[in-house]
Formats: sequence, C-alpha cells, structure tokens
Amino acid sequence: MIGSKKKRITKKTLIYLILIGGSLIILSPVWWMIATSLKTPQEIAQYPPSFWPDSFRFSNYLEAWQTAPFTRWTLNTLLISGLSTIGSVFANAFIAYGFAVIKFKGKNLLFGIVMATMLIPGFVTLVPQYIIFAKIGWVNTYLPLIVPSFLGSAFFIFLIRQFMRTIPKDMVEAAKMDGANHFQIWWRIMLPQIKPALITVAIFSFNGSWNDLLGPLLYLNDENLYTLQIGLQTFKGTVSTQWNYLMAMSTTVLLPIILLFFYFQRYFIEGSNLTGGQKF
Amino acid sequence: MSLKENIWGYIFIAPWIIGFLGLTLGPLLFSLVTSFTDYNVTSQMNFTGFDNYKRMFTMDPLFWTSLYNTVYFVVFSVPLTTAGAVIVAMLLNQKMKGIKIFRTIYYLPAVLSGVAVYFLWMQLLSPSTGLVNTVLAWFGIDGPAWLFEPEWTKPALVMMKMWSVGGGMLLYLAVMQGVPKAMYEAAELDGAGSIRKFFHITLPMITPIIFFDMVTSTIGAFQIFQEAYVMTDSGEGGPSNSLLFYNLHMWNNAFEIFNMGYASAMAWVLFIIVMILTFLHFKLSKKWVYYESGDQK
Amino acid sequence: MKKWLLIVCAGLLAVLSACSSGSADNTNAEGKVELDFWTFWGSETRRPMIEKLIEDFNNSQDEIVVKHTYVPWGDIWTKNLAAIAAGDPPDVIVNDIRTVKIRASNNQVEDMSKWVDDDLKDSFYPHLWDAVTYKDKAYALPFTTDTRMLFYNKDAFREAGLDPEKPPRTWEELKEYSDKLTVKNADGGYEQVGYYPNWGNFTTHDWMINADDGKGLMEGGEPTINTPAKKEAIQWMYDWKQELGSEAVQNMKAEFGNEQQDPFISGKVAMWAEIGTFYKQLEEFGGDLDYGVATMPAYNEDTKPWSTGGGFVMEIPKGAKNPEASMKFIKYLTDVEAQTYWGENNFDNIANKEATKQITENLDGKGAEIFQKSMESLEYTYLSITPPEYPEYENLVNPLIDDALNGKISVEEALDQAQKDVENSEQ
Repeated sequence: MIGSKKKRITKKTLIYLILIGGSLIILSPVWWMIATSLKTPQEIAQYPPSFWPDSFRFSNYLEAWQTAPFTRWTLNTLLISGLSTIGSVFANAFIAYGFAVIKFKGKNLLFGIVMATMLIPGFVTLVPQYIIFAKIGWVNTYLPLIVPSFLGSAFFIFLIRQFMRTIPKDMVEAAKMDGANHFQIWWRIMLPQIKPALITVAIFSFNGSWNDLLGPLLYLNDENLYTLQIGLQTFKGTVSTQWNYLMAMSTTVLLPIILLFFYFQRYFIEGSNLTGGQKF
Repeated sequence: MSLKENIWGYIFIAPWIIGFLGLTLGPLLFSLVTSFTDYNVTSQMNFTGFDNYKRMFTMDPLFWTSLYNTVYFVVFSVPLTTAGAVIVAMLLNQKMKGIKIFRTIYYLPAVLSGVAVYFLWMQLLSPSTGLVNTVLAWFGIDGPAWLFEPEWTKPALVMMKMWSVGGGMLLYLAVMQGVPKAMYEAAELDGAGSIRKFFHITLPMITPIIFFDMVTSTIGAFQIFQEAYVMTDSGEGGPSNSLLFYNLHMWNNAFEIFNMGYASAMAWVLFIIVMILTFLHFKLSKKWVYYESGDQK
Repeated sequence: MKKWLLIVCAGLLAVLSACSSGSADNTNAEGKVELDFWTFWGSETRRPMIEKLIEDFNNSQDEIVVKHTYVPWGDIWTKNLAAIAAGDPPDVIVNDIRTVKIRASNNQVEDMSKWVDDDLKDSFYPHLWDAVTYKDKAYALPFTTDTRMLFYNKDAFREAGLDPEKPPRTWEELKEYSDKLTVKNADGGYEQVGYYPNWGNFTTHDWMINADDGKGLMEGGEPTINTPAKKEAIQWMYDWKQELGSEAVQNMKAEFGNEQQDPFISGKVAMWAEIGTFYKQLEEFGGDLDYGVATMPAYNEDTKPWSTGGGFVMEIPKGAKNPEASMKFIKYLTDVEAQTYWGENNFDNIANKEATKQITENLDGKGAEIFQKSMESLEYTYLSITPPEYPEYENLVNPLIDDALNGKISVEEALDQAQKDVENSEQ
C-alpha cells in the first residue's frame, strides 16, 4: 500500500511537471501579446525586442478602447454570438438526433450530403451566397450572421451525431417501450446524456462567432452595427500598425471567452458518471 | 422502418433541409456550373467546356505547387494534432488541484485568432531572438530561419497548428466524461495500470470522436488558408512559393485576378479529392470505431 | 457571349431567394443625394482627416450628402466585389492604382470619360494618369502616390568617415559606402550593416527596374523579364548576399519581417529604402536620430535614379446608383484644396501637381526637405501596373528569384524560366 501511494505521488508530480512545461510553451506567445500591450510605441520599435516592458502602460487599454465605439461594438458582438450560440446548440442537437437515432428512408444519402457541404471551400460560394442575402434584403442586418446557425452546420451535426452514438441504445429503446415519442426522448434522455458535447458545441460556436471577421465584414455596412473583430482592424494602418493598442484590444477581446470557458468547465465534471445505467 | 419513423426522421432534420435548400444548394450548383465557364464575378460568363480543368492539370505550374504544399501539410499536421489532442486530454482528465486552470491555459490558443496571433508567431519564430530558437539553442541545436527558408516554412506552420490543439482537446475531454467510472474501478480491481486502462477502456470509448477529429481535421487541413495569407505578404505564397497552399492559389484566382470560373473548377477538384478521402475514412472506420449504440455504420 | 447561361444562373439564384429587394434611388428625406463612400482609413490618425474632408464637402453644397464607411484594408475589395455582383455597390471607393486596368477589363468600374476633360487630366502626374486609363478611357482619378527614397543615418556616416551631406548616387558608391558602414562585433555577428538591397521597401523587382533604366517587368503589356540589366541586378544582389553571409542576411530579414522593430531607427542598418511617410514614424519613434534622405542610387553615371511607387485612386464601382454625383465628390477629393490638406497632414505624396507645389511652399524644416526630395524622386518613379493579360505574373516570377538568391538555380536560368512561365500564362 505504501509503495503504491508513493508511486501515485511520483506520478502526480510527473503530470504536474509536464502540464507546467506545456503551459509555459502555450503562454509564451500570450506573454508577448500582453507585454506588447503594455509597452510604449517607442519601446516596441526597439531592437532587439525587450521581454519585459520598461514601464507598464496600463493606460494603453483605456486609450485603445476610446479610439472607436468599442462599447457599442462589444454589445453587438455579444448579441450576435449569444443568439447564434443558442441556435447552434439546439438546432444541431435536434438535427443530429435525427441522423443518429431515427431510422428513415434516405438517411445515409442525406448524411452524405451533409458531409459533402463541408468539402467545398467557402470562397467559391461566397458571392452567390451574398447575392441571395442581398436579394432577400438581409444585407446590413444581423440575420445572415444568426439565422444560418438555427439551420444547422455540418461540422456540429457530425460532432453531436458521434456523441449520440456513444450512448447505449437500450436507453432509447426502453423509453420507447414506455411510450415516449422522439421529441420526449430527445429532450429528456438524449440531451442530458450529452451535456459535455453540448457545452463543447456552445463553446466552439460562441468562439467561432466571436472571432468571425469575414461574415460581419461582408454583411454589415453601417458602422454602428460593426463587431469587435472589425474594430481590431482599425489599429492596422496602411503605413504602420499601432501594436500596443492592437495587442491591448486583442487581450481584452480574449477575456470573455476565457471566462466563459472557465465557467462552463464545471459541466465537464458533473457530466461524468451519467452513463452508468441510471434511470430516466 | 415504419412510416411514423420516417416522418419523425424528416421532422428532426427539417431545419437542415430548409437551410440546405435555401442557402447552400443554390450557391453550390452555381459554382459547379461556373467551373465550366470563364465567369469573372461581375460581367462575363461564357461556356468554355473543360478548359479550366485542362488548364489546371496541364498548364498551371502553380496548381501542382499548391497541391503539393497542401498535401504535405495535411500529411504531417493531421496525425500530429490528433495524437497531441488525445494526449493533452488524457493529462487533463484528472482530478487534481488547479486542473481547471490548466485546461483553460491549454484551450487558450484555440481562442486566439486573427492577425495578432500570426504576428506573435513571427516573433516567436524569429531566427536569433525568437523563443523557439532560443530554446533549441539550449539543447545545442542551431534553429533555422523558420518562415524565411523554403524547407522550413511548412514545418513551422505544422508547429503552429500543434500549439493550438486545445480545440481538439476539448472534444476528447467531453467524450471522456461519458466513460463510466465503474469500468475504471473494475479494471483497477483487476490490477490494471494507467496504460492498460487507457488502451482497453478509454481509447475504444473515444474512437467515435477520434474518427470525427480525423475526418474534420483532414477536411480543414486541405482548406488551410488564413495562416498562409497573413504570414506571407498578402498572399504571395512565401519564399519560393513554399506556402502557396491550394486555397491560397484559389483565392488569388478568384479575388485577385477575378478568374472565378477557374477557382470554381479548383474547388470542385479539391472536393473530389477530399470526398474520396472522407469516403475511405468512413469505410475504414467500421474496422476500428466502436459505437456504444450498437450499429456500426 | 452566351448570355443564356448567365440568365439560367441568375434565375436559379432568384428562385431560391424569393426576390424582394426594394432598392430605391439613394435620395434622403430632404431630397439630397446620399453617397456611400468606402475607405480603409479607420485609424486614429487618418479617419479624422478623411472625415473632415467629407464634412467640408457636405457643407460646401446642398445637393449631395456623403457618408463615410470604414471597411478594413484588403477585405474592403472582397466586399466591394460581392456588392458589385449583387448590384448594390458603394458609390465611391478607394482602390489600388496598379490594378485599375484589371478591374476595368473585368467591367467592375464605371467609365468616367464623359466627365473628364484635358484640364482635369493635366492636373495629375502623367504616369498616374496612364495607370487609370484602359483602352483610352478613364476609370478612376488618382488620389495619392508614393516613391521610395534612401534614408541614411548621418551619425553612422560621420563615424565611418563619410560626408553626411553626400549620399551614394550610384550602385558603385552604394556598395562602397555600405562596406564602410558595416561593422562587425566581437563574436562575428553584425553590429551594423551598411545596406543590403533586398531589405526595406525597395527589393528585387525595384532594383531590376532601376538597373534597366526605368523599364519594368512588363512593357507595353508584354513580359520583359530576362533582360541583361535585370539579370545583372539579381546577380548583384546574390553576390552582395554571399559577401554578407546568406544566413546572416536571412536572419536579419526575418527579424525585420515582423514589422514591429525598425532596423533603421534602432541603428542596425545605416541606409534604408522607404516611402516618404516613413518621416512620420521617424518623428514619432526616432528620438534624436540624425538622418538624411536621398533619391535611390542610379545604376551608373549615365542612367537615372529610378525609383518605384504605387498609390491609390478613387473610383465608382460598376452599378453605382448616382455616378454623376459620385464624380462630383471624386473631383473634389482630387482637386487642389482637398489634396493639399491630405498631403500636408498625412505626408502622402498626392496625385495633384498644383497641390504638391502648394505643399512644398507651406511646409518647413525636415518635413519640407523630405517632401522636396520626394518630388525629385517622383520625376523618375516607375509605377508597376499589372497588365490584364498577365495578372499573376508576380506569383510566377517571385519564387524563381527566391531560388536564384538562395543559390538553387543560376540567375540566368531563373529569369529565362520566369520569362517563359509568364509568357505561357497569358490570359
């Protein structure tokens, strides 16, 4: 017993060492970003670059924020990302259930088409898609950025389908025996089972929407409707870039996603142990 | 397969069908049609038969360069990032103090996006003052001028991709939550060590997601674009065109010289290549992917 | 031209999208014409200036109201293209001067000829005017331009025993000065490099044009890449690279490539090619750096000090609703008053000749000196126009030059091959 305890401690120490080492690798570019965000433009231009800022100019953050209507753009981005995340989670979970659980005619063919839509590079459909949205009068609204999320995306459909297929079939069968319809099974049995997957989709989807540049850029014409990612571009000038501001705002833009991720992680602990044959 | 089941099936996939018919199908067919024309986005569209395809295979040296660069990237990045993500997820799927913080740190690169990241990497990969070569120097290795030597630009990009395995990690963490604890406990009673537990319990249980990850990252890697677009001077392809990826060449054709017909043809050739690979992935998956739900399709 | 195909495809899109766009003519409640003007000038420094110009214009008359929309650099043109395809483009847009002909040949811009007379034409530098015409029709009006000059560190000149008032005038002098200015440190690395022809804002193509007495890689719409002078330029760069050590050159290029540190300001390189607006950066970050500016050195005593440049134009995208009003606004932007304001405040070289003259009179001190030099340099500035027949020539030529400079193939082979590849790519 003592021997195995010792072994466990060495193992833990080893894991910690590896994790810390990895963290350093990951954090080093992030440090560059933060360090640059605190430097003066003069210090950034220096060669060789300094690792540690000479003076910590926290005022860069405030100044960067004030160069443009960032408060408004943040709210816009939150609105778009929030709505499309909700759409993404529910629509994709709904659609994926159809492909993962129900047996219907043409399922394999249709799923093949779902996969196929992922394979065509978006550039060549960009213009015709834009024309469609222009024709239905959606340009310069948030609709092209939100509505498609409610209609499913191949990546997430495929993802959730894979997760649903890790759930034992007898649970669905048993519910059917009890007279539950598919809608009830989806809502009461399937969704609770795949909570970690849904959280993952929510994080990915929020992340994607938050960081999207091309979408808002194409479809929004009114600067009052702009998003943070477009805002970040204002620091990149044609001749020179305001690196300290760019990095300060990039760091600020990161924070909400990090907090979101940190918060949602608790579902990754709670989600475990559900599969162990419990009732519904 | 009863009528009722059929109806239920179509009810569930209805949102996708609406989106597909309303938003996706038209543009897809449109791009297929234009691939047989000299479409220039704004004013001309003459039928040119298979000219675009002929030109691609026989007269465009940059097509082959871009295909080679892309395949190189796919071959190295997909297995490395998949394995990397599984390993990181394993390490982070523990009950330990501070694990939440570690997970957040490892996910961080997946959140970082945009031009700032690429400029950070240019800094990191800078030959004499960059961190990567500084670390290599500790081990007595004389690191290359990563982004400026044609042989090293693609490995540098693979390295960048490795850095952000956090996205994949999240998927594996999610699926590992579903592995019943009881299975591990039973194995422990039998005296199984961590490695045996991994190969006999965890690995089979996460194969559906490994499969998902491999399929989607293959598709994604074939479409690599932004990294190359930003890291080379506005899409010029890098030193000796070593970063001229397939999608970059396509982009240049479509939006720099307005040869959208040709770009569409390129897109459909890529479609066929990736479709064959995806199809093989699905066929092979029957041999190694384990579905708890029973059916193996 | 098979129109039916266009119609079939357009129909396909229309059916799928329940056509319902009610695009009105762009007049507002007060009966004024509203113009949407897209620029990529969103930075703290440039945005207020373009917005001031717009405000002045809006106040100067009561028929037209211009609204400014910032769209990020690069992406602005993708968005513009999609908007043109959808039939709802902006009214005026800033675009790249070197590609006007490409857009004209693809029918993406409105022909302005009917509003252009000789007076208007003569108010711009002739090489800029050439760039905005295609098949004898004008498709844009030039707004700004630039020209590369040689900035040199006077302190470094003094330390090396060179006369700080006598910058190098020929290739030979450039090399000679550079050798004197190059300082090695104890461990064999470079403390300071005098000059290297492939750094900064004047590189392979530019030196080839400089060597060939102002003849570009494309002349009269045909590739002229493998001329003896151009081969010599690449060979000259290759030899220079060998002398400095190819690894050292590569490393330093990489260091400078991240656009943050400036090698000239930080004293790593004593001579550096840049455009006039570099002055603004020197003012802001340069501290008490004592520097001078000169036109680029000429190939030899008999050739001119050829430089290269680019610039931006104002154009009306195809399908814009009020081209006549748009033209009025563009004329205002390219006229003396607006041009003078823009040039003085941004330190861009501007397209209007008269305005340029005024600026030189208004400026004083270092700024005046640099602006004066840039005018001299503009006399021999080559504008590389992308010919519609060979739109991708740069992507074909550049990798071969890279290979030659890396010693993988000979310069002779590289440029001959480049010439052949470009000839084969004719569209």
